Amino acid sequence: MFALAVAALAQEQLVPGPGADLTQAKCAVCHEIEHVVRARQSRAEWEDTMRRMVQRGAPLTPDDIRVITDYLATYYNREAPSAAAQAASAQAAAAQTQADPVTQLLNRNACLGCHAVEKQVVGPAFRDVAARYKADAAAPARLAKKLKDGGQGAWGQVPMPPNPGLSDGDARLMVEWVLTRQ
Amino acid sequence: MSDPSRPIDPDSPLARREFLTRVATLSALAAAGGGVAPRVLAQAAKPLVDPAGTVPNEVVLGAKMQGFAPHSARPLTWSTTAEYQDFDVTPNDRMFIRNNLLTPDLDAANHVLRVRGLVDRPLDIPLAELKKMPSFTTQGMVECAGSGRVGFQPPASGTRWQPTGGMGCPTWTGVSLADVLKRAGVKAGAIHVAFSGDDVGAVPTAPKVIRSIPMAKAMERHTMIAWAMNGGDLPKIHGHPLRMVVPGWVGSASTKWLSGIEVLDAPFKGTYMDDSYRIPNPPVPPGSKLPPGSPITEAWPVKSMITLPGQGDRYKAGGLLVVRGSAWAGDYDIERVDISLDNGATWQPANLTPRAHKYAWRRFRLEVPLTRAGELTILARATDEKGNTQPVTSTWNPLGYFWNSIHRVGIVVDKV
Repeated sequence: MFALAVAALAQEQLVPGPGADLTQAKCAVCHEIEHVVRARQSRAEWEDTMRRMVQRGAPLTPDDIRVITDYLATYYNREAPSAAAQAASAQAAAAQTQADPVTQLLNRNACLGCHAVEKQVVGPAFRDVAARYKADAAAPARLAKKLKDGGQGAWGQVPMPPNPGLSDGDARLMVEWVLTRQ
Repeated sequence: MSDPSRPIDPDSPLARREFLTRVATLSALAAAGGGVAPRVLAQAAKPLVDPAGTVPNEVVLGAKMQGFAPHSARPLTWSTTAEYQDFDVTPNDRMFIRNNLLTPDLDAANHVLRVRGLVDRPLDIPLAELKKMPSFTTQGMVECAGSGRVGFQPPASGTRWQPTGGMGCPTWTGVSLADVLKRAGVKAGAIHVAFSGDDVGAVPTAPKVIRSIPMAKAMERHTMIAWAMNGGDLPKIHGHPLRMVVPGWVGSASTKWLSGIEVLDAPFKGTYMDDSYRIPNPPVPPGSKLPPGSPITEAWPVKSMITLPGQGDRYKAGGLLVVRGSAWAGDYDIERVDISLDNGATWQPANLTPRAHKYAWRRFRLEVPLTRAGELTILARATDEKGNTQPVTSTWNPLGYFWNSIHRVGIVVDKV
């Protein structure tokens, strides 16, 4: 029964909409996404939840908090009408398909929950990664493997989760993009 | 997160240690002790990773009664329902789980309890030495403040505990906190005692889990530093190798993986004190935020559950129904438990077992002849020694605490 429950959890995704990717990425740092999917709260309660998560160490900027609160208060609000949410959701899905391939990959794999280009969040800044490996010709292949297998130790003891579903091509595409972020 | 305006002794066990140091230590322990390497929890869109030095959920849940999925995986929360709690003493495999962070894999041989703050003699007591102090065993209630949360309408925020999930009453073995505090010598002006756990956060910015309680409860002799549960070492999920047991009070006071005690001149300020475990007084309209200054939860109010029969059980008309369950009331004793078979129109008293230990639940029992076929609803309502009785519906509060409404179980009686 537990195995079935885990399989069910794995299929849960947030409703598409403005801020869905950021919400997925940030919440997934500490929670299974089902933890969010099953929640229904008023805006006031979501504001309270966000404040509490920041107090508990969530790596969020004020902009992140605003976007995620708006998203959750729109799509996971037990008081809000669902028609508006569905319309916005269709728009967002359309916008997402127009995003560039690397942005789509970063969003889909929740990379931005722990990484940012300019600064360390949980994991290192992409700029710092690019700087460290700029003279290392073997780095792209090694880092692409690390994206799939996960790792620990190169940037501290907080582990990088594995992404076993990532294709070799997508991994290389993301690594090449990261290494040009100097 | 600690309040920066409130200075804390850098030597204090409650001063947040550098996360990287802690994880490095845990990694070293894991490497030395054959601990757990990072691994995938579930094939989710973003796999959850178990950092070195933590116990994976599958291992924890493998030792629990099968058939109940966790309420949440991160943080791990789990319980059975009332019909699987039909015991005088809660067995290990039925004890509820409510983590705030990840389950640490701690080394009992090197575990040290540090006592700091307003004491004459700061102490570093290795676990082996603590076990040489006068110890005792007692049965005591531990119940999550949110136990029963699904009863609230509109749904309150937090773990979706069933009306009778999120509590247990095992036996605990350890020393009185009071004896340790006397050994350290409590200074004048001390009014609160804080407990700090060694659970592991998923991010470096996660503050430690810290809760403080007033001195009177800290000095009550049943308030215990425990190393054993039901006669064996604490299971890892229940705080191995050391935990607080503050019986009758909200579970958040019973800090698991205890490594630090600090005697304070004020309640501890931190997220597990200030942002949760509070109920507005007076009550607020449903859907509101938690107002500032809401009082913190301490002892549970009177509550009971029917553990036999189970919801939906089938019986034969003409037979005898045994109604059985448990009742408890925080710091108070249970005075009576009444059963209704007619939706509350009339009540009859159940027999109560004697109070085995001060903070143990009391078991109740009533035999009822089943005269008619059809559906039958059974209600149980406990009253404590102060005359407080379980309500029909508990007062709504933003974080959904202290659900103690009358428990209801429906059965089907078939024609012979």
